[in-house]
Amino acid sequence: MESLNLCTSPKPLAMASVPKQEWCDPYDLNTALMEGTIFPCLNLTFHKAPAKENACKTSSSISNIEQKNREELMSSLSAVSFALNDLTLYLDTHPDCPNGTALFHQLLEQRLNLLSAFAGKFYPLTQTSMVTGHYDQKHYGWSEGPMPWEGACI
Amino acid sequence: MFAYEKRLQFPVKIKNTNPEFAKLIMSQYGGPDGELSASMRYLSQRYTMPVKKVGGLLTDIGTEELNHMEIICAMVYQLTRDLSEADVKKAGFDAYYIDHTKGIWPQAAAGVPFTSLEFQSKGDAITDLFENLAAEQKARTVYDNLLRVIDDPDVIAPLKFLRAREIVHFQRFGEALEMTKESLNFKNFYDFNPEFDKKFNKIGM
Repeated sequence: MESLNLCTSPKPLAMASVPKQEWCDPYDLNTALMEGTIFPCLNLTFHKAPAKENACKTSSSISNIEQKNREELMSSLSAVSFALNDLTLYLDTHPDCPNGTALFHQLLEQRLNLLSAFAGKFYPLTQTSMVTGHYDQKHYGWSEGPMPWEGACI
Repeated sequence: MFAYEKRLQFPVKIKNTNPEFAKLIMSQYGGPDGELSASMRYLSQRYTMPVKKVGGLLTDIGTEELNHMEIICAMVYQLTRDLSEADVKKAGFDAYYIDHTKGIWPQAAAGVPFTSLEFQSKGDAITDLFENLAAEQKARTVYDNLLRVIDDPDVIAPLKFLRAREIVHFQRFGEALEMTKESLNFKNFYDFNPEFDKKFNKIGM
């Protein structure tokens, strides 16, 4: 019957599609953390949310120099680690993207160095960093430092 | 396996006690579209996914949702950490206080306890990916609603971050749907269930 031919469509019926993301140049790492994505093309804002909210500013009023250094190092670690989190999901669906892969390896190295530095100077955040940060082998360090939910931002 | 890293994915540093905000935000811990539901949804669905890369994506997003659950709990904890007896009676926090004091327990904003009935693992890749696309949109709406009623900048910053993640996850699930479709018959996506009728699947397990 001719009516059967009326039922053709260039795209499959009864199915939805989401376009695949193209690579776009990422934000700087601190902006990416504040915005919640490294990709400007995926940053689709909400009109009720203020454009700029600086979550954990390293406050200049901090008198304790150790606290200040710790916060700065933690802020760098948070930014690098978050960029890796976002990039991991991108690479899960774009494993052959050369831009993504190159950035991934670059950030991974930065993250490992920051984790080691944090363990060496303050306390370990991961078990591995107790070794790479040359943590003192004479005592158990895992219980050191405040718990993450205490809001010390360090 | 999972290993703990002693920091939050996004920093939470809230100065002011506010049981009203705590009660609302708690919904993203134990509510119908919360982070606990999200994590359990993806981590449950991944085992039977026919396309390996999609199973990998579900693992990574399911893990990230655990980070988000921790951010939400940290917010609820800090909003109620210095709660006084007078604060307890404000904003309907007294009912929660009677059962849990200041303990963190997964429930929706209206007091309904967390339940796995809030998410699905259907054993059909197409169905589950649509479930996930819808879940990310529902969670985004909750964050939009929270951002409308909350005016403390310390609370807004992590909420805004978490909202942005829902949109990124939606995009990735959309790409996962495309990858799954490529392994199916374009003339009829519904001719078989790729998680059950494996012999029809090009990619297989």
